[in-house]
Amino acid sequence: MYDVIVIGQGLSGLLSAIWAKEHGYSTAVVSTGTGKIIQSTGVMDLIPGTAGGLNEWVELYQMSHLQLGQLTGAIEQFKALTKKIGYPYKGEIEKLSSIVTGSGHVKKTALYPETISPLPEKGHIVIVGFEEVVDFQPAYIKGNLQKARPQLTIDVLKIKLGNRSQRTMTQLDAARLLDQKEIRNSWHQQIKRLIVEKNIRERDMFIFPASLGVEDWKETKDQFSFELNAKITEAPGMPPNTTAIRLYECLKKEAVKLGVRFYADTTVTGCIIDGEDIKSLTIQTANRLSNLNGKQFILATGGILGGGLEVTPEGLKETALRLETDEKGVMLHCLSNLYQVGASRGIQVTQNGITGGIFTLLSIHEMIDQLHQQMVIGGTRSA
Amino acid sequence: MLELQFADSTYDKCLKCNACVASCPVSNASLEFGGPKHLGPELKRLMDNQQLIDDKRIELCTLCGNCDMSCPENVHVSTLTAYLKAIHAEQSGTKFRDLVLSNAEMVGKLASAFAPVTNLAMGMKPVRKVMEIVMGIPAERQFPKYRFNNFNRVYNRKYAYTKRKAAYFVGCYATYNAPEVAESFIKVMEHNGIEVVKPNQKCCGVPMFANGQMKQGMKNANDNINSFIEYTRQGYDIVVTCTSCTLALKKEYLAYVKTEEAKELAGHVYDADEYLLMLMENGEMNMNLAPMNVKAGYYSPCHLKAQGIGNPAMDILELIPGYEITDLGAGCCGQCGTFGFKTEKYDVSMKIGKPMAEAVEELNADYTVTECGMCKNQLDQLTEKAVKHPMQIVAESYERAKVLV
Repeated sequence: MYDVIVIGQGLSGLLSAIWAKEHGYSTAVVSTGTGKIIQSTGVMDLIPGTAGGLNEWVELYQMSHLQLGQLTGAIEQFKALTKKIGYPYKGEIEKLSSIVTGSGHVKKTALYPETISPLPEKGHIVIVGFEEVVDFQPAYIKGNLQKARPQLTIDVLKIKLGNRSQRTMTQLDAARLLDQKEIRNSWHQQIKRLIVEKNIRERDMFIFPASLGVEDWKETKDQFSFELNAKITEAPGMPPNTTAIRLYECLKKEAVKLGVRFYADTTVTGCIIDGEDIKSLTIQTANRLSNLNGKQFILATGGILGGGLEVTPEGLKETALRLETDEKGVMLHCLSNLYQVGASRGIQVTQNGITGGIFTLLSIHEMIDQLHQQMVIGGTRSA
Repeated sequence: MLELQFADSTYDKCLKCNACVASCPVSNASLEFGGPKHLGPELKRLMDNQQLIDDKRIELCTLCGNCDMSCPENVHVSTLTAYLKAIHAEQSGTKFRDLVLSNAEMVGKLASAFAPVTNLAMGMKPVRKVMEIVMGIPAERQFPKYRFNNFNRVYNRKYAYTKRKAAYFVGCYATYNAPEVAESFIKVMEHNGIEVVKPNQKCCGVPMFANGQMKQGMKNANDNINSFIEYTRQGYDIVVTCTSCTLALKKEYLAYVKTEEAKELAGHVYDADEYLLMLMENGEMNMNLAPMNVKAGYYSPCHLKAQGIGNPAMDILELIPGYEITDLGAGCCGQCGTFGFKTEKYDVSMKIGKPMAEAVEELNADYTVTECGMCKNQLDQLTEKAVKHPMQIVAESYERAKVLV
């Protein structure tokens, strides 16, 4: 019997589990696989795909004043957590930052990790790609970026990683290589040489793929910044983005160390309901179907993109608990000990199928408060 | 020719999202490995209705199962890579060393029969140098010790008369290397009023699957299924102290053998701590545990994580008053069964194990707790801390409580 059972281990699932456990509740996470966090860019957007600010966000998600009042708290809580786990986020909700993606698109985002630096309006940019990583093409990025930022002067470089691979190399593979000091040294030397060869005199910022090391990203960023005498940024694009992998790995490790119990490779196939309460989850592992008992349940399975909702000829289906929803994916019946976070709240909150990290942060922050009150009222809080 | 019947039902859902590659301990340590996505679903798609492809890169797959755990679409990638290993062995042959390593049971029997000599020889540098040259087994790699008084010599009970009855799948490690784990388990069960039988059994097959010896592995699997199903049909629960054996009985037999019997059996299989937890939830567990003033670190084996049962060892050990245990939060150990005993894989094995060793050092607990004998082997080699199986600790707490009464 757990105090809290979380379904899903994406951004919303992991954050829910960590914050529930920090409240002292025995907590479990049940998940079929990794969440969509692994395919994300790892930045926290307000309204993904638009430049809309706080006002537009409030309107789109129909946020009440009460909710808006909690937003600062949610952001502070997230910033404090990411700092604690060694992967700090920065940025402001009132003033969005412009960052560049792996396609050269300039997007607005609210929170981003320290490996990302906001893009200047003007100045001299150098885009650095790796011969072996096909997912990041500097010339293509330059084309798009130049359109978005005509005032920028842009140069492109391609360096050789020099490591042969038996598989198609991703940005993550390059990042793992950059965790090694010798490789970091050889790379910045290559870049310096190319700068001289190409006669690139001014440089304000270097754009790299999301590859600046998995563990030693800080060393890489500082070293490159120092040696190249310019700002450094990662431009997240095709997954796996190291920007997102770091967040996932740090959150997961924190949850495990706190004592959250993980039920991996386990699919929730329904639940047992008693009146207004969920009593237990029906879970399927390789060898048997069983029940997992809990007091409070958090649905963090995402929306259509995350797999929490499925489009069928008969309409939308909620895939884990198999509860009835309306045409927007909102639950028809209210259960007193079920909390929906992030995109699992239904499609009315999604834009381009993605809810945006800030909505997710707020939804969890709110939920934890409610859950805590519920546990205190119920007198069921564990020691 | 090997009859290849893949578990076809699931691989088609692969979206090539790379979650498995990002979670693969070997891919993260080496660019030489083809990776679970490429050698799993992608290669299977390529081979379907066409000719088989023998891909040498599969040798670096350890069958740790992290790919299965990471897949959001529920594709069991490791089933595909296990078959690719079988294809590779079938078409390119198997090294003598790998045949020996895959037959952990035979090695156990022989090494145990000459235990004092074996252990002595394995500690001698010239012997190990010869082994490295002739066999490709790295001289620096520590080996687990073998016991002359192996568990087969001391325990052979075949019938139980208590209300709950446990049929114990001992596994090669607890039989030949660590009978103290098996004996502790029997004691823990005794304290719970459960008699334990040891049905006829063979190696679970995991080392065989990992070395592409699918036919031999399937034979062992079928023998084990036939032997144990006699017991489950009489109301016995199958309890296992080795996490790799547990995973074989729970998941791999289902994936490879695919019979109704395999399925029926799998439903009765429990990890030892999972079993105690089940007893506790049913109010059947003996809660008379003596306090132990210990600060321990827990290392979770991949094959425990893959069972989807939470963390029963920590749940049980936390019941002992004064016992403090923290999850090291470390990934794969890098020993990966027979993988770490191979010269050409030794560097990768060490590289994978490094973060685990650092986590042990950082936590600086009294000792490390883990269920898996092979993880223990790597912990013994890379860390200064002693390593215990949870059953040894629970048994000690029960024994002390008995003395106190």
